[in-house]
Amino acid sequence: MRVVTDNLGFLLGGLLVTLELTVLGFVGALLLGTVLAVFRVSPIAPLRWVGAVYVEVLRNMPLLTLLILVVFGLPDVGLTFSLFTSAAACMAAFAAAFVCEAVRGGINTVPVGQAEAARSLGFTFTQSLRYVILPPAFRTMVQPLVNIFIGVVLGSSLASAVGVSELTNRTQVLNLQSAEAVGLFLVSGAIYLVIALLGGAAGGALERRVSGGRLR
Amino acid sequence: MVRSQRWRVRVGAILATTAALVLTGCADQGSAPPPPVPGQADTSGYDQVIAGSPVADAAAIPAGSWADTIKQRGRLIRGGTDQGALFSLKDPATGKVTGFDAGLAAMLAHYITGKTDADAVELVATTVDTRETLIQNKTVDAVFATYTITEPRAQKVAFAGPYYESGTSIMVKKDNTAINSVNDLAGRNVATEANSTAVLALQQFAPQANVLLFQDDASCVAALQQGRADAYVLDEAILLSDASTNPVFKLVGQPFTKEPYGIGLPLDDPAAKQFVNDWLQKIYADGSWAKLWKETVGTVVSGDAPTPPTLGSVAGS
Repeated sequence: MRVVTDNLGFLLGGLLVTLELTVLGFVGALLLGTVLAVFRVSPIAPLRWVGAVYVEVLRNMPLLTLLILVVFGLPDVGLTFSLFTSAAACMAAFAAAFVCEAVRGGINTVPVGQAEAARSLGFTFTQSLRYVILPPAFRTMVQPLVNIFIGVVLGSSLASAVGVSELTNRTQVLNLQSAEAVGLFLVSGAIYLVIALLGGAAGGALERRVSGGRLR
Repeated sequence: MVRSQRWRVRVGAILATTAALVLTGCADQGSAPPPPVPGQADTSGYDQVIAGSPVADAAAIPAGSWADTIKQRGRLIRGGTDQGALFSLKDPATGKVTGFDAGLAAMLAHYITGKTDADAVELVATTVDTRETLIQNKTVDAVFATYTITEPRAQKVAFAGPYYESGTSIMVKKDNTAINSVNDLAGRNVATEANSTAVLALQQFAPQANVLLFQDDASCVAALQQGRADAYVLDEAILLSDASTNPVFKLVGQPFTKEPYGIGLPLDDPAAKQFVNDWLQKIYADGSWAKLWKETVGTVVSGDAPTPPTLGSVAGS
């Protein structure tokens, strides 16, 4: 595996791009997805519709399709972003649909009586979300969010198809030089595995902390 | 209930509108002219070249040999692509794969089995990431896939040939006067196919270029057209084909590399390589090779067919 050791810097540079895509994509998805989930449980019907349409469109489209539409479609209508920005935005937009459903699912696990109680005590919609519904809801969201995180890590490899020089893309370049496809993809596969495992471990730790020992 | 049904209808309408918008977006993509599809045109000339190519004597195929396995099976299992303009492209209407590589595979199948029908060659899709492995584990008999002979590859598989000498060239938009040779690529955004040896050529000849790797020719063309890339670097024949269908592009300078293409074969079977080289020598000598070139690459490159490269003339072949 000389090709790996000789090109360690090149591969690690690709790993950095993968991590950047993952972090931007996941954090962006958390923010956008939470807003969308609030839309979907809000008392205002048009907001609920916006949330529902967003989720159904983005969740039911392959990420690769979205990447190609944004990278090669938007320039045709005069909007050209860098390849990295386009890919990060696609990852965030795509994962946000799943985050929205995970957050909404968490909110729905809180008995409706608690929301009614909060309202009868004079809490506003925002206050009842912030102080009554979201804290217990968050516990049940952790594992679904870990799944989404792993989806974002692995999905970032699709950015290689639209020219982003991340880990998979650089693995392909090294294979051209060395014809060591199996070995190289084992290495890059192991790297993705480690990132996903670390994400899962962090999620497990977080879950134990927020559940306060009530974890089964 | 009524409310929720109406709601559903409305969502359906919105989804349909979005789908329509997405589809029109795709249609706009099509404004870049499609690559020429040899199969859509009349392929009778191409078919005649294959039917007129030589057939091996029974004595040339010893029992139990690589060629005999193919003969007994009645078809050649070819590793390659069906998405390579000029070299191996599938006509979606007929399902027929034609091009220079596809034609050579058909000729080799004809040489061994005597058959020219569509079943004589079975195409197994290979990519740059899988070619060596699929030859090594005998999933395919031979790979015809604009397969540049390189020394690292030659340690894994045997190469018959070279059967074609190509070169990496540069295509830019017509109004671009800043890029005239490979030396002008430094600091520029340069698109190429992720699975081509042009990537290596760029590393060697234009290490300062910012290389953008896309999956296929169409993506690279779109990137150049939309200004994401200042130049598109790839095999000259493929660029000529793109430029011939898209008048906003031009090729600049002469090819800056030599890319000898070989036929990938199992490394542990020297008799197979000898057999394929003997066959190449026959189709060089009787003009089948030149006729096939004329029907495929020759449709975008002007002039007579070049002299075929000398067998074994490249390190690794």
